[in-house]
Amino acid sequence: MIELQAAVSGALNGSLFALMALGLSLAWGFLKVINLAHFAMILTAGYLTFELATSTGLSPIATIVATVPLMFVVGALIQLGYERFGVSELNSLLISYGLLIITVQVVTNIWTADFQRLPTEINPYASESVAVGSLRFPMPTLLAAGFAVILVVTSALVLERTYAGRALQAFGQDREIASAFGIDHRLLGVLLAGAAGASAAIAGMLFPIGGTLTPDLPFEWIGQVFAIVILGGIGNVTGTLYAGLLVGAISGLVAVIWTPSTSPFVVFSLVVLALVFRPKGLFPQKGG
Amino acid sequence: MSRRASILALMTAMALTIAACAGDTGTTTTAGAEGTTTAAPGTTASPDTTAAPSTTAEGSGDPIVVGGTLSLTGAFAATGAIHKLAGDMFVERLNAAGGLLGREVEWNLLDDESDTANIAPLYEQLISQDQVDLIMGPYATPNILAAMPVAERYGYTLPQHTAVLAPLMTYACQFPGWSIGPEPNSFIPNQIADALDSLDGAVSTVALLTNESGSTAFISYGIADDPEDPSTLNILPERGYEIVADIPYPPGYEDWGSTAAQVRDANADLVLINGLGVEANSLIEAMQQLDYRPPLMFALFPAPGPLLGLGDAAQGTLSVSIFEPNEPILEQMDPEVREIVEEFAERAAAEEIPYTVFETQAAASWNAWEILAQGVEGAGSTDGQGICDSLHSTGAELTFSGAVTFDPAVNNFWDTTEGLKQIQGTEWVMVWPEDIAAGTLAGPTG
Amino acid sequence: MRQKGWLALVGIAVALVALPAVRHATEFPMFYLIFLSGILFWAAQSTSWNILSGYSGYFSFGQGAFFGVGVYAMAILFGRQGMSWWVAALAAGLASMLLGLAIGTIAFRLRSLRGEIFALLTLAIPFILASLARLSKAIDGGQGIVIPVPEAPSFLSQFQEFVFVVSGLVALFALSVAYVMQRTRYGWALFSIRDDEDVAEGLGVPTFFHKMIAIGITGLIAGISGAVAALQLGFVSVEGTFNLDVPLFVIVMSVLGGRGHWAGPMVGAVYVYTLQNRLASGGFEGWSLIVLGAILVLVMLLAPQGLMAGFRRRPWLSAGIFIVVFLGLWLLGIMSDPVTALALALGVTAIIAFIPGGEKRRMSPPVGAGEPPEHHAPVGDEMADVMAEARRPLLVAEDVVKTFGGVRALRGVSMTVHVGELVGLVGPNGSGKTTLVNLISGAFPPTSGNISLDGTGIVGYRPHRVAHLGIARTYQIPRPFTSLTVRDNVAMAIMFGRDPLGLDASRRAATEYLDLVGLAGRADAFPGEINLHQRQLLEMARAIATRPSLLLLDEALAGLNPVEIDNAVEVVRRIRRSGVSIVLVEHLLRVVNQLATRIVVLDQGLELAEGEPAVVMRDPAVIKAYLGRQADATGD
Repeated sequence: MIELQAAVSGALNGSLFALMALGLSLAWGFLKVINLAHFAMILTAGYLTFELATSTGLSPIATIVATVPLMFVVGALIQLGYERFGVSELNSLLISYGLLIITVQVVTNIWTADFQRLPTEINPYASESVAVGSLRFPMPTLLAAGFAVILVVTSALVLERTYAGRALQAFGQDREIASAFGIDHRLLGVLLAGAAGASAAIAGMLFPIGGTLTPDLPFEWIGQVFAIVILGGIGNVTGTLYAGLLVGAISGLVAVIWTPSTSPFVVFSLVVLALVFRPKGLFPQKGG
Repeated sequence: MSRRASILALMTAMALTIAACAGDTGTTTTAGAEGTTTAAPGTTASPDTTAAPSTTAEGSGDPIVVGGTLSLTGAFAATGAIHKLAGDMFVERLNAAGGLLGREVEWNLLDDESDTANIAPLYEQLISQDQVDLIMGPYATPNILAAMPVAERYGYTLPQHTAVLAPLMTYACQFPGWSIGPEPNSFIPNQIADALDSLDGAVSTVALLTNESGSTAFISYGIADDPEDPSTLNILPERGYEIVADIPYPPGYEDWGSTAAQVRDANADLVLINGLGVEANSLIEAMQQLDYRPPLMFALFPAPGPLLGLGDAAQGTLSVSIFEPNEPILEQMDPEVREIVEEFAERAAAEEIPYTVFETQAAASWNAWEILAQGVEGAGSTDGQGICDSLHSTGAELTFSGAVTFDPAVNNFWDTTEGLKQIQGTEWVMVWPEDIAAGTLAGPTG
Repeated sequence: MRQKGWLALVGIAVALVALPAVRHATEFPMFYLIFLSGILFWAAQSTSWNILSGYSGYFSFGQGAFFGVGVYAMAILFGRQGMSWWVAALAAGLASMLLGLAIGTIAFRLRSLRGEIFALLTLAIPFILASLARLSKAIDGGQGIVIPVPEAPSFLSQFQEFVFVVSGLVALFALSVAYVMQRTRYGWALFSIRDDEDVAEGLGVPTFFHKMIAIGITGLIAGISGAVAALQLGFVSVEGTFNLDVPLFVIVMSVLGGRGHWAGPMVGAVYVYTLQNRLASGGFEGWSLIVLGAILVLVMLLAPQGLMAGFRRRPWLSAGIFIVVFLGLWLLGIMSDPVTALALALGVTAIIAFIPGGEKRRMSPPVGAGEPPEHHAPVGDEMADVMAEARRPLLVAEDVVKTFGGVRALRGVSMTVHVGELVGLVGPNGSGKTTLVNLISGAFPPTSGNISLDGTGIVGYRPHRVAHLGIARTYQIPRPFTSLTVRDNVAMAIMFGRDPLGLDASRRAATEYLDLVGLAGRADAFPGEINLHQRQLLEMARAIATRPSLLLLDEALAGLNPVEIDNAVEVVRRIRRSGVSIVLVEHLLRVVNQLATRIVVLDQGLELAEGEPAVVMRDPAVIKAYLGRQADATGD
């Protein structure tokens, strides 16, 4: 029973990380960009959510009206920069690492390194949950799971059903062939990066609903989020969601069966094993 | 063309950056508008780079410079700000009263960025380059442990605010401003058991959660490589309290949902979290999500403000403290204490420090400064060994902790005045031991 | 170049000995020694990182793991067990090296673990180690370990001098290793891996072996350096050790300084450490990450080669300006503090690095007039010897099958190449020609069947062993090592070929192979500066420089104009006359007819026909399957 509750709580927690991983995985798979600035966008969106919600008294969820368009633009602009300078996959990793540490410092200088939590008055979700029998689904991570499912299903549909999506897939597989088919890869890439930015804004809104903001959070996220990207398969959106749920459930289970300190050991050993034996992820796509 | 322009821009930027930061090293800011006595380690402090270190400028009228670091940025910054304000206030009052040995005191404070790796080089710099006369320890146990070998190598006396790992503080000339006695790992669980005993059997089972980092793991499990060492895990069962869950977690732990489920299922009378910062907040919220509220909570070193912010959910939560400015306590103490507490609250609000109450951290800081000042006056000089000897022979008289003595055999950890505090209404109230309590210990709810 | 490198290393060594002594005489403040110790620590760490990640291109986020193993080995062996500090330091290096070799054993065997995937694998390692250290009370248990002050040798009066000298020895060791590697096959093997690992393997570079050496050295240096850092810190904790500081700083330092050169990471360490120090002491702590991040972004975008590349364009000017500004500011008393003077001098010198132009630097020095090495290029007409051996089978492929997933690329092909033959391998697209070339060169093993060279079975051999047995290949789309000159591309093949020579001898010998293909005039150009035809000739020169008995030419003439084709045909004839047997995969039947002594036709993974060109061309099955579809190809 406790194992079931722990697995459920863990899996829901993992869905938030899956949401963080989604944009990263898409950009990596289709644009060949490893954008650590994605974490900077999540962090900034988290602080903006905190700032907007506390200053206006609005529900934190309502703040996405502002943060989603903003992060769409930021994500698109960063991608334009990568395009402009013809940045390679590895160099994008280094450059975005630079952007990330700049953001961490700027956020520290603005909001201080102190813990920031949404006050209970505007964030009732922190202590709420949905009960099904004796199982409890904590509201903050349930919201994250809801958004994660919506975004993952939408991305999967767009990628498979629309012309732009199929063009992106072609582009991800072979840039030259895709260009030959007359796809404006720059525009598509910028739009995709914008969408990834928008997903970062949503993840950034969800984090402070359940957690405490500090500027060095990205460094705590990086390990787990990359674990999910790799286990899910790079560019595989549904795989990312499954991997998030799986990693979360395993962490939760390991935490109650052994100790929480054992979880990172198990999760990252799993990552190494997956890289060695299943480099394309645990959930191979049809025909992939 | 645009590439060349970009390269020129990069060149200029780099040159300007380096020139800017190099050029600014000469400035020393003292006693700013908000009373900041922070001084940059100006190279002006040692204009002659071949000068021999000098700590014997007695009566010269030069200020006595106290060097130290605090975490002004990074993970410990919230607490670092409290220690900075307390130190600023102390130095101002000291100077207003004529300084030390008739000389003004200046605090040369550097930022260690909450990074333990920065500590040793910065203290090396303060002592060898800036040639400060005295040093003040940094905040947080690992940082103090990192500063200690440097102080020892140069023979400087090291007063420090908050080191909990007493057995590792082996340097004879380090002096704690916050003591939980020589064996905190025995004292704290015994004090908790004493308090629980007073509740007439309302508590019999305990769920123990532990952050696996320096100070907190030490209280839960004793010294790492000795299972026989006194610890919460050993002492509570000896005192008749059954530990029904023992959950260690890593620093930075996020997945509180599954842990809360485990705690709920343990169904203990007391949930005892030997954690730091906002971990107790996260646990309480995760338990709320499971519609579970433990009868009684204890949190070892929480950030005090955020727990109060939880309102009703955190009511009755216990923690440790050496000082809380509760009205009954203030009434018994020197009127100066009330002055200090009120000035601190005012200035903390002005500096936007989130939690403005002068409580255990600030009191520990004040203690450390008093130890340093009294050591210097006792020695009649800024000589490290002299200060150390003076403190060992005469002890110190502390505003917030009374008269204390230092015995190197127990690493100078004095008889503690530590007690338990509890969230009652909108403030932390000292509730244990009864002779220093400002309120009554409230037992388990429900 | 060589003298300058040794000069720098000797300079550092002299400084190591002299500084503590001079300090006593002049009462040089201790802080500067500590400052220099910091630079030396980072120089060792970033140089260690650069050997794996800069030289071989295997980008690692795991420097913290190697560093951390060193730190904890010292903490446990010296701090807890009381072993002597230097034994503990060596043990720390060994432990970290073993970690490197363990990672390498897993990661370097798999093609899938290259590039970004390797980087992420190394990202996971510190997390696992941190978790382990926290879980195990024998390692740490979460509370940290206090390390006592070690007993320094008596001639070093103070602990800081001791740390300075030991850090200096570690840095000197790291720099010497990096320098020697850059001058020898061990470094060049890594450069070739960085540029194109498959090609390197095909030219005879035992890539796995060299990658293991690289990661082992990286671990060794990082471990010893971490152990010394632990001594200096006096207290170690899991959070303070396995964080992102070390990986972040070594990357920024190496990128800023330049990853291709042994001294680049050291230059980066000097810049970044000095800058950080001035920021911190100037009260700009809140800016340090912003400045570091900005440096990383701007350098990556605008000068990805790093500062060292700029300095090497104008070595004397850079050194001169640096010394004049530094000494000028300091000795004339304009800057009282040498570190500030150093920071300014570094800033001014950096401007030199970013001024474009200057003497264009070449990897290869002018080729000396030394004795020509014993690596006779096959310029003579050795046809006579070859004819004596004729009809002896050289390459025998028997019933070779290769399936990819469900696709059967080859369905049982047998083929023999005799000594001295030039066999044309033709067939329509997808007939399996390139697959057969890949199987013969060992790029991957056949699903079934046997391949032997001179009677030795080669199935299951890694490509470098196949190359050493005497098979060389070219690629349809030329794959030169882009960071090396044309000459050095060929020299690389000689260094790792069947009769390996040293670097300088290989460079001299390379000229003769370039003569053979007619590329000697472009010997000092980079591959990016020559045209497609010349790159294809370079492919051939590089392949024959391994001194093969069998050369596989995979569409070596694709995309050339008629004049270039005639030239290439002449080069192939010259190669054959030198005694090399050749398999020529080609679309252009005109060329095949001109050159081949025999033709093998493949269609849909099976051999369709085989025999003399004139006979095969008239085979109705061949005409139907191949010629019929490409009527235009028969036009001439």
